[in-house]
This record gives sequence, structure tokens and C-alpha cells, in this order.
Amino acid sequence: MASRSKLIATPALFLVLLLLSGCISYQLRGRVEGGEISYPGDRLVVGKTTLGEVLVLLGAPDTVARVDGGDLLIYQRAVLKRNQLSVGLPLADIWRPGIDLSAYGALVRYDRLVLLFTPEGILSGAAFEKSSDHPYWKAMTSNS
Amino acid sequence: MKSAFCLGISLLIVALCTGCVVLGKNTEYQPLDPALLDPLVPGQSKAADVCKVLGAPSQVVELSNGNAYVYRRSVIKGTGVWLVLVTFVNGDEQHDRVVFFFDKNDLLTHYGVSLNAGKASYGFPF
Repeated sequence: MASRSKLIATPALFLVLLLLSGCISYQLRGRVEGGEISYPGDRLVVGKTTLGEVLVLLGAPDTVARVDGGDLLIYQRAVLKRNQLSVGLPLADIWRPGIDLSAYGALVRYDRLVLLFTPEGILSGAAFEKSSDHPYWKAMTSNS
Repeated sequence: MKSAFCLGISLLIVALCTGCVVLGKNTEYQPLDPALLDPLVPGQSKAADVCKVLGAPSQVVELSNGNAYVYRRSVIKGTGVWLVLVTFVNGDEQHDRVVFFFDKNDLLTHYGVSLNAGKASYGFPF
């Protein structure tokens, strides 16, 4: 008896999945721009390290800009994650309003190293943020 | 009875795996050849020498004590997998970048090189 119900349940499940395939969909989208960035630690010394030393250590920056009192180099990596769940009945051809519910959440997290130099090319400030380590779901459900 | 059950499971797996896979690649410009940088020497080369070797820069930035010329190439590799109920899409963008720093007399003072475009890869978003 149990085997017979399994025999019926399997094609039934198969049929339900086929019928639902036009109605329910889940999409996971990811995108990474840029390579890994880590803070060089004690190899960067404010007031001592030069622009030339930083270029040898870290390579070419993503962004170069002039700011008040010097120049700025930015090294950056962006990590995007997007989840989308859609539920709908594809009836647009016969019933204009249709039914379509979807929910999505997208989050871009940045790893960013910002270095400020004096006009003479001496490191005058450094800031590093690694947000790609922050848990995706925690960030999505946080109110802040 | 058992074989019918296995057939049902197989059909289910085949149905769930039905879909398609797309692999895409987008390249901006040609990759930077590190050998081209050999004749460019800080303290000797001028901005015109850099342009002669590498052509027009992607960006020119005015700095507090000169200018920076930015050369950028990018490679994007995209992967898409469409199954019955689930879709996975992933993109990986990596760059080759060279930034030259010049003083106010257009003399090359430093340059930095990052060659990562070749590291772009296909994959899943998890």
C-alpha cells in the first residue's frame, strides 16, 4: 500500500513542480568587482611611507583624486548579492491585472582602503573598511 | 514497483535540472602587456613617452603636484544557470590598471601596476 502511494506521489510531485515552474521562481544574483584587498598593517606608517612605496606594495589604485591638502588613493572591491523570490500566475493574456508578488533584497558590500598623501607624496592618513565579511542576512535584516 | 519508483525519481531529477547555462565574457580593450612598461623609467620618461607606448589614457587626473594618467582594461565573466524554479547569475569583473604619476613638468615620478584581468572567473554566486 505504501509503495503504491509512493508510486502515485512521485509523478504527482513531478506534475506539481512542472505546473509551479511558471508561477514561482527564486533568483540568486552575485557580482564581484575588483580583487581581494587587505590592510597592509605596519607596512604603512603615517608621516613616513611614500607614494612610491605604496604603489610597489599595493599596485595601481582604483581611484586617484585631488583633495584639500593633498591627494587620495582608493583601493576598492565591491561584492553584490541579490535574492529575489517571485510568486505569480502568468494570466496576463486572459486577465489583465494578473497576480504577481515578488520580494527581493540586494546588498552591495565594499572593501575599501583609502590613503591620503601630502603634495610631497608622504602618507598623511589611512582608513580601511572590510564590509564583505559582514553576514548577508544580518545586514539585510538590520534596521540600521 | 521499485523500478517504477526509480523512474519517477529520475524523471523528477531530470525535470529539476532542465534549463540552460550561459557563459559570457566582456572585454574592454586589449590586456596590458607588462613588457611595454620596461622602457618607462621614473625620473627620465615624460608624459609624451607614456602616451607613445600605451596610447591615450583612460583618464587624466589633476593632482596637487602634477597629474596622474590612468590606463584601465577590464574583463567581465558572467555565468547564468536557469533551472526549473531556481536561477543563479554571477558576474566577476577584474581589471588591469596602470597609474602613472607626473610632476608639474610632466616628468614621470612613480607608477603602479595591477594586472588582475586574467583572474576573472566563471562561477556561482555563493
